Amino acid sequence: MDPASTTSSGSSRAPAAGYSRSPDAAAACGPPPEFPAGLRVLLVDDDVTCLKIIGMMLRKCLYDVTTCSRAAEALSLLRERKGWFDLVLSDVYMPDMDGFKLLEHIGLEMDLPVIMMSADDHKDVVMKGVTHGAVDYLIKPVRMELLKNIWQHVVRKKRFGMKDSEQSGSTEESDRQKKALEEGDNVTSGSGPNWRTMKRKKEGKDDDEEEEDDTEEREDPSQTKKPRVVWSVELHQQFMTAVNQLGIDKAVPKKILELMKVPGLTRENVASHLQKYRLYLRRLSVPQNQARIDGPYTSAQEVPFRSGGVVGFDLQALSVSGQLLPALHFGARRATDTGIGTPTFNQMGFLSSGSSANVSSARSSPMYQMTNRGLSYLSGSPNNIESRQIDQPYHLAQQHGRNTPLKVEEETSVFFNMPPSQTRPLFPGANTNDQLNRSLLMAMSQPGQQFSLSQQHDNFLGQSISRGQVLNGIEAHDSRLASTVRQQMLPYEISSDVSERTVNTLNSSLPGNQISSLYGAVPQSLNSNIQNRCINESVASLYPHSSSIGPTPMTGSVQTSSKTSNLKGISDLPPSYVSSQNKSLDWKMKGVNLPYQSGQQFGSGLNNLDSGSSPATYQDRNTINACTVRKEILSVRTEIEHEKVECISQCNTAVLVENSFSMKSEVLPDTKLQDAFYDSNIISNELMNVVGKQLQEGTGEDASELFDGYSLDM
Amino acid sequence: MKKSLFDQGYLDEQFYQLEELQDEVSPNFVEEVVTLFFRDSTRLVTNIDQALEKRPQDFRKLDACMHQLKVSASSIGAAKMKNECTSFKEFCGKESLEGCIRSFQKLKKEHSTLRTKLENYFQLLRQVGPVEKAVRSGK
Repeated sequence: MDPASTTSSGSSRAPAAGYSRSPDAAAACGPPPEFPAGLRVLLVDDDVTCLKIIGMMLRKCLYDVTTCSRAAEALSLLRERKGWFDLVLSDVYMPDMDGFKLLEHIGLEMDLPVIMMSADDHKDVVMKGVTHGAVDYLIKPVRMELLKNIWQHVVRKKRFGMKDSEQSGSTEESDRQKKALEEGDNVTSGSGPNWRTMKRKKEGKDDDEEEEDDTEEREDPSQTKKPRVVWSVELHQQFMTAVNQLGIDKAVPKKILELMKVPGLTRENVASHLQKYRLYLRRLSVPQNQARIDGPYTSAQEVPFRSGGVVGFDLQALSVSGQLLPALHFGARRATDTGIGTPTFNQMGFLSSGSSANVSSARSSPMYQMTNRGLSYLSGSPNNIESRQIDQPYHLAQQHGRNTPLKVEEETSVFFNMPPSQTRPLFPGANTNDQLNRSLLMAMSQPGQQFSLSQQHDNFLGQSISRGQVLNGIEAHDSRLASTVRQQMLPYEISSDVSERTVNTLNSSLPGNQISSLYGAVPQSLNSNIQNRCINESVASLYPHSSSIGPTPMTGSVQTSSKTSNLKGISDLPPSYVSSQNKSLDWKMKGVNLPYQSGQQFGSGLNNLDSGSSPATYQDRNTINACTVRKEILSVRTEIEHEKVECISQCNTAVLVENSFSMKSEVLPDTKLQDAFYDSNIISNELMNVVGKQLQEGTGEDASELFDGYSLDM
Repeated sequence: MKKSLFDQGYLDEQFYQLEELQDEVSPNFVEEVVTLFFRDSTRLVTNIDQALEKRPQDFRKLDACMHQLKVSASSIGAAKMKNECTSFKEFCGKESLEGCIRSFQKLKKEHSTLRTKLENYFQLLRQVGPVEKAVRSGK
């Protein structure tokens, strides 16, 4: 095969070796600029009959076909030969991996046009293809005429993408924000709403930008596909340099692009790469922290991360110091969004620093599309902040991830019912969801870290966080996050504070999903399904009455739901929502060692649980939180004392409220938190109350623990 | 004979597509594909058989298995089989074990009928081929 015919595509290609190719494909036709012949297609289908037939059809079209019957095999092929393939044709229903997942992976890592195929022609499945970024969807049995034209997607992507980036470059940021806002309003789990928001986005921008970096949310996938850029090592080094220079918090695609000074590189290219990078970071932080492999990524991570200022925290419990910061930011973010938190967070001391930087990066990542939406929810604060926060956690998580003992990962894995191996995958290989989850976890856990939670607290929080994260992050929970979360007791407090505020604010205006988006520091990739499930579960667990699920079961269920839920909904509501849900559950479940997801989880859980009956829910949550708080308090030390106060006050409030069933709880959290924050005495008192109440409510263990812990602290 | 296969509805348009793919480079493409199909589909049929016997019934799994078979069948143009697959899936959707079993029986019948017919068809093709060559070379 003559590679010359394909060089016009503009992407670097490694010489093909050992793959089935039509010998006469390239040689036959002097390829016009649109090189139809010699197009390198990767065909993935588990059905041997289809594989053979379609493979033959493609060869008849003079394409260079490589076939494989397993998605994993396809991914490794694509990775081995980066830039070699022009196009991927994949079946939807495959035994080892869902076609849409594969689609996501490819979009993130290789940014290749992917065409989905299936005998299933249901509109919702086809829509899924669209929302996941497939450039086309073919109904089987496939006719050869259709395959003849698939090359157009490759060309279009290249050309149109370039054009788009030029046009939209300057307005990206604002568009993103606008989009986020728009999306925030409409964030839904289904593809339908996403579609609508996407449409709006389209109106807002010339082409799908950050949010849609890697997925084409447009109805017409052939439009504005970013040109496929192969991120060579040098290019990536330049990228990393730029990112580090800017600081991961402030690493926005535009600035990165400026710093990189690579001709022909578009902002979209950078944005999507940045997104992937962030995911990568997240993944790094979660799994095997010790053995983080992605050298280029990880090294870069540390630099920006440190700058966040989180480092200063006493992470004793947390191996991942960086994680705390992000967590804080996370919390801060929420606060920001709700307009309340910022000051609170500042108290926490974390928020201020890195938040701004993270936003941009978070925004751009396609995985975070949901995040963006979630960010939009947070309308209170600029989306930038949100994403920044997200990024930071990732970075932190990453850094920490390395340090985090393996056990965290394992724990996380276990917790999330995910095999440890899942959490480990490197960025390139990891499941998108995993990455997201990890990031989420990291983000979540970070806040917790800052508080130097004690083991107990960590576990407790970690569980909640991890739970939420899992839900959010979905499948691939980042163990690292989990670990950090666990260690961070405080996040709980912070988050609860934040979440409460956010919740309160959000509850009124946004549907549960939206609220979660607020919390959406966590990558929004979390599926709304998961969230809903988590929410339901968490709700169930939260409420003493309804706690049909024990701590452990809840965890499991949560995990299950998250796992089973369709992560595909990257565009779904922010995971944070889910995470908060989890948190509530976790608290209940003392034993659960979920990564502590900074208050978000907690808060969102509260919100999610019952957006309608916020007061009641709140109370319940508070109660539950109280329980958890107790645990946390035990472990939390003075550093987070103020936070504890908040939490305690909240909890107390919750407890009290619950008992009295007054609406006070709603109000209390806010005020209480504030007060508590500054008044440790209150905490102690409340703690006592909470403890007492907890005991009354049957959380005897917790109460005593809490109580004991409290006394220790106080 | 091919015409009769089409007329009777055993094969559809897709089969023509397969034939179009056949050329000098792959002269036996259609037969290869069909052989491959029957090998694979027999395996799938066995799977479904086993799944049907399990209690309690997992209709989702049955549906998924049948989907696979349907895709295969449709890609070679096995029209009748494809239709049976569709009706089986419908029964799965209604969670009617009775309906599934009945449909599956029909499906198996179609499957073996088609296999026989296609085997005959290819045999015929093979016979005709050499004869033609012989005639030509004879001249």
